[in-house]
Amino acid sequence: MTDEEINWPETLRAQDSGQQAAAVDALRGVLLNGLRIALNNRPEVSEAQLEDFAQDALLRVLDRLDQFQGRSRFTTWAQAIALNTAFAELRRKRWRDVSLDALLTAGDQMAEPAILPDDVLGGDEDRTRLVNALRRAIAEELTPKQRAAILGELQEMPFNQITALLGTSRNAGYKLLHDARRALKNRLLEAGITGTDIQSAFTL
Amino acid sequence: MKPQNPSLTAPQVKGLVQMIGLTRDREFNCSECLEHVSEYAEHQMTGQELDAAIACIEQHLKLCPECREEYEALLKILRAGA
Ligand SMILES: [Zn+2]
Repeated sequence: MTDEEINWPETLRAQDSGQQAAAVDALRGVLLNGLRIALNNRPEVSEAQLEDFAQDALLRVLDRLDQFQGRSRFTTWAQAIALNTAFAELRRKRWRDVSLDALLTAGDQMAEPAILPDDVLGGDEDRTRLVNALRRAIAEELTPKQRAAILGELQEMPFNQITALLGTSRNAGYKLLHDARRALKNRLLEAGITGTDIQSAFTL
Repeated sequence: MKPQNPSLTAPQVKGLVQMIGLTRDREFNCSECLEHVSEYAEHQMTGQELDAAIACIEQHLKLCPECREEYEALLKILRAGA
Protein backbone atom coordinates (compact mmCIF):
# COMPACT_ATOMS: atom_id res chain seq x y z
CA MET A 1 0.00 0.00 0.00
CA THR A 2 1.36 3.45 -0.81
CA ASP A 3 1.10 6.49 1.38
CA GLU A 4 -1.61 7.99 -0.80
CA GLU A 5 -3.81 4.94 -0.38
CA ILE A 6 -3.85 5.03 3.40
CA ASN A 7 -5.79 7.56 5.41
CA TRP A 8 -3.19 7.51 8.14
CA PRO A 9 -4.81 9.71 10.80
CA GLU A 10 -8.09 7.84 10.49
CA THR A 11 -6.51 4.39 10.50
CA LEU A 12 -4.27 5.25 13.44
CA ARG A 13 -7.40 6.17 15.38
CA ALA A 14 -9.44 3.17 14.17
CA GLN A 15 -11.86 1.58 16.64
CA ASP A 16 -10.90 -1.84 15.31
CA SER A 17 -7.90 -2.59 17.48
CA GLY A 18 -6.38 -5.01 14.96
CA GLN A 19 -6.51 -2.42 12.19
CA GLN A 20 -5.17 0.26 14.50
CA ALA A 21 -2.26 -1.90 15.71
CA ALA A 22 -1.36 -2.75 12.13
CA ALA A 23 -1.30 0.95 11.21
CA VAL A 24 0.90 1.75 14.21
CA ASP A 25 3.33 -1.01 13.18
CA ALA A 26 3.35 0.20 9.59
CA LEU A 27 4.05 3.77 10.67
CA ARG A 28 6.89 2.63 12.93
CA GLY A 29 8.36 0.89 9.86
CA VAL A 30 8.00 4.02 7.73
CA LEU A 31 9.73 6.15 10.37
CA LEU A 32 12.52 3.61 10.89
CA ASN A 33 13.14 3.42 7.15
CA GLY A 34 13.28 7.23 6.90
CA LEU A 35 15.70 7.48 9.82
CA ARG A 36 17.94 4.82 8.26
CA ILE A 37 18.12 6.88 5.06
CA ALA A 38 18.60 10.20 6.83
CA LEU A 39 21.35 8.93 9.12
CA ASN A 40 23.12 6.55 6.73
CA ASN A 41 26.17 8.84 6.76
CA ARG A 42 26.60 8.26 10.50
CA PRO A 43 28.03 4.81 11.04
CA GLU A 44 28.20 5.47 14.79
CA VAL A 45 24.40 5.26 15.01
CA SER A 46 23.45 1.65 15.61
CA GLU A 47 20.35 -0.15 14.37
CA ALA A 48 19.18 -0.45 17.99
CA GLN A 49 19.44 3.34 18.38
CA LEU A 50 17.51 3.87 15.16
CA GLU A 51 14.78 1.61 16.51
CA ASP A 52 14.68 3.58 19.76
CA PHE A 53 14.41 6.86 17.83
CA ALA A 54 11.61 5.42 15.68
CA GLN A 55 9.72 4.25 18.76
CA ASP A 56 10.11 7.61 20.56
CA ALA A 57 9.08 9.44 17.39
CA LEU A 58 6.07 7.16 16.92
CA LEU A 59 4.78 8.05 20.39
CA ARG A 60 5.24 11.75 19.69
CA VAL A 61 3.43 11.46 16.36
CA LEU A 62 0.51 9.56 17.92
CA ASP A 63 0.34 12.15 20.66
CA ARG A 64 0.09 14.98 18.12
CA LEU A 65 -2.29 13.43 15.59
CA ASP A 66 -4.77 16.25 16.18
CA GLN A 67 -2.18 18.78 15.04
CA PHE A 68 -1.84 17.25 11.56
CA GLN A 69 -3.63 19.62 9.23
CA GLY A 70 -3.15 17.83 5.95
CA ARG A 71 -0.97 20.50 4.35
CA SER A 72 1.66 17.90 3.47
CA ARG A 73 1.54 14.14 3.15
CA PHE A 74 1.07 12.54 6.54
CA THR A 75 4.31 10.57 6.29
CA THR A 76 6.35 13.72 5.50
CA TRP A 77 4.86 15.38 8.56
CA ALA A 78 5.63 12.33 10.70
CA GLN A 79 9.20 12.05 9.32
CA ALA A 80 9.87 15.69 10.26
CA ILE A 81 8.87 14.87 13.84
CA ALA A 82 11.02 11.73 13.78
CA LEU A 83 14.07 13.72 12.62
CA ASN A 84 13.47 16.35 15.26
CA THR A 85 13.39 13.57 17.88
CA ALA A 86 16.47 11.74 16.59
CA PHE A 87 18.66 14.82 16.12
CA ALA A 88 17.76 16.16 19.57
CA GLU A 89 19.00 12.89 21.03
CA LEU A 90 22.14 12.74 18.86
CA ARG A 91 23.09 16.34 19.64
CA ARG A 92 22.96 15.66 23.35
CA LYS A 93 25.90 13.36 22.94
CA ARG A 94 28.25 15.97 21.46
CA TRP A 95 30.28 18.79 23.04
CA ARG A 96 30.28 18.28 26.74
CA ASP A 97 33.50 19.95 27.85
CA VAL A 98 32.46 23.59 28.21
CA SER A 99 31.07 25.00 31.46
CA LEU A 100 28.52 27.76 31.83
CA ASP A 101 31.21 29.81 33.60
CA ALA A 102 33.57 29.48 30.63
CA LEU A 103 30.79 30.51 28.24
CA LEU A 104 29.78 33.53 30.35
CA THR A 105 33.41 34.58 30.87
CA ALA A 106 34.00 34.42 27.13
CA GLY A 107 30.72 36.30 26.65
CA ASP A 108 31.97 39.05 29.02
CA GLN A 109 34.86 39.64 26.66
CA MET A 110 32.34 40.48 23.96
CA ALA A 111 31.76 43.73 25.87
CA GLU A 112 35.47 44.64 25.69
CA PRO A 113 36.61 47.06 22.97
CA ALA A 114 39.32 44.58 21.89
CA ILE A 115 36.68 42.16 20.64
CA LEU A 116 36.27 44.22 17.46
CA PRO A 117 39.46 45.82 16.11
CA ASP A 118 38.61 48.88 13.96
CA ASP A 119 40.03 47.32 10.83
CA VAL A 120 38.60 43.82 11.24
CA LEU A 121 36.57 44.23 8.03
CA GLY A 122 39.27 46.24 6.26
CA GLY A 123 40.19 49.85 6.87
CA ASP A 124 37.65 51.73 4.74
CA GLU A 125 35.55 54.41 6.35
CA ASP A 126 32.09 52.85 6.05
CA ARG A 127 33.20 49.53 7.44
CA THR A 128 35.05 51.18 10.32
CA ARG A 129 31.87 53.11 11.12
CA LEU A 130 29.89 49.85 11.07
CA VAL A 131 32.42 48.11 13.32
CA ASN A 132 32.38 51.00 15.79
CA ALA A 133 28.61 51.05 15.95
CA LEU A 134 28.52 47.27 16.34
CA ARG A 135 31.06 47.38 19.17
CA ARG A 136 28.96 49.91 21.08
CA ALA A 137 25.75 48.00 20.40
CA ILE A 138 27.24 44.75 21.73
CA ALA A 139 28.56 46.46 24.87
CA GLU A 140 25.46 48.51 25.61
CA GLU A 141 22.43 46.66 24.27
CA LEU A 142 23.05 43.02 25.15
CA THR A 143 22.70 41.13 28.42
CA PRO A 144 25.58 38.89 29.53
CA LYS A 145 23.58 35.81 28.48
CA GLN A 146 22.87 37.29 25.06
CA ARG A 147 26.56 38.09 24.57
CA ALA A 148 27.51 34.57 25.61
CA ALA A 149 24.91 33.02 23.29
CA ILE A 150 25.98 35.15 20.32
CA LEU A 151 29.63 34.33 20.91
CA GLY A 152 28.77 30.63 21.14
CA GLU A 153 26.97 30.88 17.79
CA LEU A 154 29.90 32.69 16.16
CA GLN A 155 32.27 30.01 17.42
CA GLU A 156 29.99 27.38 15.89
CA MET A 157 29.13 25.88 19.21
CA PRO A 158 26.10 23.62 18.77
CA PHE A 159 22.94 25.51 19.61
CA ASN A 160 21.73 22.74 21.93
CA GLN A 161 24.88 23.11 23.98
CA ILE A 162 24.32 26.85 24.31
CA THR A 163 20.74 26.34 25.43
CA ALA A 164 21.74 23.51 27.79
CA LEU A 165 24.38 25.69 29.44
CA LEU A 166 22.02 28.65 29.72
CA GLY A 167 19.30 26.36 31.03
CA THR A 168 16.71 27.31 28.40
CA SER A 169 14.53 25.38 25.98
CA ARG A 170 15.29 25.44 22.26
CA ASN A 171 12.48 27.96 21.66
CA ALA A 172 13.54 30.19 24.54
CA GLY A 173 17.14 30.02 23.32
CA TYR A 174 16.06 31.03 19.84
CA LYS A 175 14.10 33.93 21.32
CA LEU A 176 17.11 35.03 23.39
CA LEU A 177 19.19 35.20 20.22
CA HIS A 178 16.40 36.77 18.19
CA ASP A 179 15.97 39.52 20.80
CA ALA A 180 19.73 40.07 20.76
CA ARG A 181 19.88 40.34 16.96
CA ARG A 182 16.92 42.71 16.99
CA ALA A 183 18.51 44.93 19.64
CA LEU A 184 21.74 45.08 17.62
CA LYS A 185 19.89 45.80 14.41
CA ASN A 186 17.83 48.62 15.94
CA ARG A 187 20.91 50.15 17.48
CA LEU A 188 22.73 50.05 14.13
CA LEU A 189 19.74 51.66 12.41
CA GLU A 190 19.72 54.38 15.09
CA ALA A 191 23.40 54.97 14.39
CA GLY A 192 22.52 55.56 10.74
CA ILE A 193 23.84 52.21 9.49
CA THR A 194 21.59 51.13 6.63
CA GLY A 195 20.77 47.74 5.20
CA THR A 196 23.09 48.57 2.31
CA ASP A 197 25.99 49.20 4.69
CA ILE A 198 25.27 45.83 6.27
CA GLN A 199 25.16 44.11 2.88
CA SER A 200 28.46 45.64 1.79
CA ALA A 201 30.19 44.34 4.93
CA PHE A 202 29.98 40.74 3.79
CA THR A 203 30.23 41.11 0.04
CA LEU A 204 33.96 41.63 0.22
CA MET B 1 35.64 28.46 23.42
CA LYS B 2 38.85 30.42 23.16
CA PRO B 3 38.69 33.00 25.95
CA GLN B 4 42.45 33.62 25.64
CA ASN B 5 41.87 35.29 22.25
CA PRO B 6 39.47 38.17 22.80
CA SER B 7 39.17 39.39 19.19
CA LEU B 8 36.60 38.12 16.74
CA THR B 9 37.93 37.05 13.35
CA ALA B 10 36.78 38.73 10.14
CA PRO B 11 34.58 35.74 9.16
CA GLN B 12 32.98 35.82 12.62
CA VAL B 13 32.24 39.53 12.34
CA LYS B 14 30.80 39.00 8.87
CA GLY B 15 28.69 36.15 10.24
CA LEU B 16 27.38 38.44 12.96
CA VAL B 17 26.62 41.26 10.53
CA GLN B 18 24.88 38.81 8.24
CA MET B 19 22.75 37.49 11.13
CA ILE B 20 21.78 41.06 11.96
CA GLY B 21 20.95 41.74 8.32
CA LEU B 22 18.62 38.72 8.21
CA THR B 23 16.81 39.72 11.41
CA ARG B 24 13.08 40.46 11.23
CA ASP B 25 10.81 41.73 13.98
CA ARG B 26 8.64 38.65 13.66
CA GLU B 27 10.36 35.30 13.08
CA PHE B 28 9.33 31.67 13.31
CA ASN B 29 10.72 29.88 16.35
CA CYS B 30 11.88 26.25 16.10
CA SER B 31 8.43 24.83 16.96
CA GLU B 32 6.73 26.91 14.30
CA CYS B 33 9.41 25.82 11.86
CA LEU B 34 8.76 22.15 12.68
CA GLU B 35 5.03 22.72 12.25
CA HIS B 36 5.51 23.88 8.66
CA VAL B 37 8.69 22.18 7.50
CA SER B 38 7.00 19.15 5.92
CA GLU B 39 4.86 21.39 3.74
CA TYR B 40 7.88 23.52 2.86
CA ALA B 41 10.02 20.49 1.97
CA GLU B 42 7.33 19.14 -0.36
CA HIS B 43 7.07 22.55 -2.03
CA GLN B 44 10.82 22.53 -2.55
CA MET B 45 10.70 19.05 -4.08
CA THR B 46 8.00 19.96 -6.58
CA GLY B 47 9.04 23.58 -7.19
CA GLN B 48 5.58 24.85 -6.25
CA GLU B 49 5.15 28.43 -5.25
CA LEU B 50 5.31 29.27 -1.56
CA ASP B 51 2.41 30.41 0.51
CA ALA B 52 3.35 33.72 2.19
CA ALA B 53 2.52 32.17 5.56
CA ILE B 54 5.32 29.64 5.26
CA ALA B 55 7.82 31.94 3.56
CA CYS B 56 9.05 32.83 7.09
CA ILE B 57 10.49 29.37 7.22
CA GLU B 58 13.24 30.20 4.71
CA GLN B 59 14.49 32.94 6.96
CA HIS B 60 14.40 30.67 10.01
CA LEU B 61 16.35 27.97 8.16
CA LYS B 62 19.06 30.49 7.28
CA LEU B 63 19.45 31.50 10.91
CA CYS B 64 18.92 28.19 12.72
CA PRO B 65 21.49 25.46 12.03
CA GLU B 66 19.54 22.83 13.95
CA CYS B 67 16.32 23.26 11.98
CA ARG B 68 18.41 23.40 8.81
CA GLU B 69 20.08 20.10 9.65
CA GLU B 70 16.69 18.48 10.21
CA TYR B 71 15.25 20.01 7.05
CA GLU B 72 18.14 18.73 4.93
CA ALA B 73 17.68 15.27 6.40
CA LEU B 74 13.99 15.43 5.50
CA LEU B 75 14.84 16.35 1.90
CA LYS B 76 17.19 13.36 1.82
CA ILE B 77 14.31 11.07 2.79
CA LEU B 78 11.97 12.64 0.23
CA ARG B 79 14.58 12.37 -2.52
CA ALA B 80 14.98 8.68 -1.72
CA GLY B 81 11.25 8.37 -2.34
CA ALA B 82 10.58 7.13 1.17
ZN1 LIG C 1 15.09 26.41 14.58
